[in-house]
Amino acid sequence: MLHNLPPDPDCALSLRKLSKFYGEFLALDRISLDIAHGEKIVVLGPSGSGKSTFIRTLNRIEPHDSGVLMIDGEVIDDKTSLPLLRGAVGMVFQNYNLFPHLTVLENCILAPRLVRKAHRDATESLARAYLDQVGIGEQADKYPIQLSGGQQQRVAIARALCMAPDIILFDEPTAALDPEAIKGVIGIIDSLAERRITTICVTHEMGFARHIADRVVFMDKGVVLEASPPEQFFTAPQSARARQFLDQMIHHA
Amino acid sequence: MRLLTCLLLCLAALLSSASVRAQERPSFIENNTLSVCTNPTLPPMTFVNGADLSAIDGFDIALARELGALWHVPVTFKTMDFTGLFPSLAAGRCSLVISGVLKQAAREHLFDAVAYLDTSPVIVAPSQIAPVTSFEALAGQSLAVESGTSYAARIEEINRTLISRGKPPIALQQYPSEDQVVQQVLVGRSQNFLSQDVELFYRQAQLGGKLHVIFSPSLPGYSEFALYLRRSGQDKALLAAAIDTLKRQGKITALEKKWNVGKAARAALGVTSERPRFNTATFFSALFSMAFLKGAVMTLVIALASHAAAIVISIPIALKLNAPRSLWHPFLRAYVAVFRGAPTLLQLLFIWNALPQFFPIFREGWFSPFLATWICLSINESAYQVEINRAALSAIDPGQLAGGQALGMSPSQIYRHVIFPQALRVALPPTINEFISLLKTTSLASVISLQELLFITQVQVARSFEFTEYYAAALVYYLAMVFAFLHLQKRIETRFVWASRASAGGKTGPRIESPTDGTEASRHAA
Ligand SMILES: Nc1ncnc2c1ncn2[C@@H]1O[C@H](COP(=O)(O)OP(=O)(O)O)[C@@H](O)[C@H]1O
Ligand SMILES: [Mg+2]
Repeated sequence: MLHNLPPDPDCALSLRKLSKFYGEFLALDRISLDIAHGEKIVVLGPSGSGKSTFIRTLNRIEPHDSGVLMIDGEVIDDKTSLPLLRGAVGMVFQNYNLFPHLTVLENCILAPRLVRKAHRDATESLARAYLDQVGIGEQADKYPIQLSGGQQQRVAIARALCMAPDIILFDEPTAALDPEAIKGVIGIIDSLAERRITTICVTHEMGFARHIADRVVFMDKGVVLEASPPEQFFTAPQSARARQFLDQMIHHA
Repeated sequence: MRLLTCLLLCLAALLSSASVRAQERPSFIENNTLSVCTNPTLPPMTFVNGADLSAIDGFDIALARELGALWHVPVTFKTMDFTGLFPSLAAGRCSLVISGVLKQAAREHLFDAVAYLDTSPVIVAPSQIAPVTSFEALAGQSLAVESGTSYAARIEEINRTLISRGKPPIALQQYPSEDQVVQQVLVGRSQNFLSQDVELFYRQAQLGGKLHVIFSPSLPGYSEFALYLRRSGQDKALLAAAIDTLKRQGKITALEKKWNVGKAARAALGVTSERPRFNTATFFSALFSMAFLKGAVMTLVIALASHAAAIVISIPIALKLNAPRSLWHPFLRAYVAVFRGAPTLLQLLFIWNALPQFFPIFREGWFSPFLATWICLSINESAYQVEINRAALSAIDPGQLAGGQALGMSPSQIYRHVIFPQALRVALPPTINEFISLLKTTSLASVISLQELLFITQVQVARSFEFTEYYAAALVYYLAMVFAFLHLQKRIETRFVWASRASAGGKTGPRIESPTDGTEASRHAA
């Protein structure tokens, strides 16, 4: 029924019949969704269901082919300024994609300096503040290769935060982390929500999803089959596909 | 009225006298200078007499200066490889070839020739070999001659006669310069060599009495040295008249005496002293000479300039070739294939000798050996550099591009600050290897007369005949340069601290590339 309503300008993100093709292949099939400011969304679904593609359309790294994508009341299309859009929608990749030739601090200040033309001193102190916030302030002058996976993840988050985004997209942030580090990421995402930053997080980690999600979005074959609060999703999933998925996850865990 | 007629007459007289004087000067004198192409490796005719390359000297050089004086024009010399002389004359790079070249019918098909000095061919062999009286006595023996001269064709002709008489042919060995021809007999690789008498007179002092003339054949076409010029109107007659004038003035006889090429010289043959095998003094004076230093600097400069240009050319080509297929692909692939496929020496000779025949603009003075070499080596090297760059660019994780995009950086910002600094680390070691190889390739440019290290060496050897000493000095320079760059390569690799956990450990080291400005000191002090 969301399909036929106009997009909601009061939402952080409002999607209507959003579709994406890779050549002939339909990767996203008419996704309609409203996400409120400060909401924590977790995207679940089997591998290849289009989760990564979905969050990549939200910052236009993969432009959508049809439908409406509205962010903070603005319709996003090929006329949208990419630096502005990506300033508003940050992203943390599964393998972090840190710049190995730059120190942690330089990783954080490169984009603000180049894209925002921000002043060096201000950017640097901001970056140090964010690094402190994610708990790796003392690593600022090290190179990524000197850090553990969990520390690199935090650098990636701090780097995204330095652009002062309203929305942050996470693609499997916990995939390479031990349980201790996962707890840390949960804490960080919670603190983002307190600052009304909207987070959309793709994961395979059920415990993590249950912990942080305000709502779980379940995808299969490019279609959003469910979007419901975690209590409801994990206890009484609506679709047969989601039940099957949860069964599998539990058996494999 | 009468005044006007008088004026007109005076004017006509002036004009006609001017035109008579202009006729005296041949048309090959352009821009009021006589420019002469010469290969200064043929003492005593034309050679570098001293440590400095500009000090070319000899009978031919002095003769050119006499001609210049006669026509009241300054003389400029363009020095080059023997094989480049006639292409350069044809290309209009010089007015005359004055380079101890024999007067021969084959050359006169294409150019005009004016004889200026009598000579005789000589067969030379080690001193213990007895004289002979015919070519038949040389059947089955080896004979060294200079390539690019017509000796080879003449010997082939004699060989046909020998074979028809059931005798084994003379084994011909060709070498690119006269000094190398002589050296083959000295080191025992050839039994004899064929040259002109004038050279032997001059070489006597250097040969240490080890060689002597065993046969002076009378070969038509080897009995006169000639000046060569492009065929054009009265030029030949005017040049012949000028030579006659110099003869009448006794100038030519004086030069013969000075350079020991006249008939008197024959008497002096064979009086010599022994020479040391390796003259340490020569070696060190070559090593520390201005000429070698300049040659080494030239080698370094041309290599650096060529590689810099090659890198500039290769980066956009590598980016295009790594991008999805486009219309450019076949052309860029062909570019890389052609310039990697063709021998560098051939490319140099093509640019220097063939290009001016299609585009006369390349005959002009600004198109120097340096420029030709630079263009050639830049293009040639860029073809190799493209492959290095492509490999380096594809070694970068595509996630780096996505990472930059997600931060709102533009493609050019991502390339400049993210991709290139990382690709640089991958590309730098093979690039320095390429550079070292290029540094040595520059020696090929000696064939188009670029005055780099090998050219200087060859000129000095031709003058002095001290092969080992000058080759050793050149070797020292090449090795010093190569080792310096190998050392640099090592140093640079250790500077990429971010690339490995081991070297990045502990204190943060210095970095090659920093996208941010301002001082880094405060950070590193921490
Ligand atoms: N760049 C691409 N080109 C073509 N097909 C792609 C591309 N990226 C993803 N796909 C395909 O789209 C589908 C969804 O991929 P993805 O979004 O990565 O799934 P998930 O993240 O849920 O595992 C898969 O079938 C995948 O093969
Ligand atoms: Mg994925």
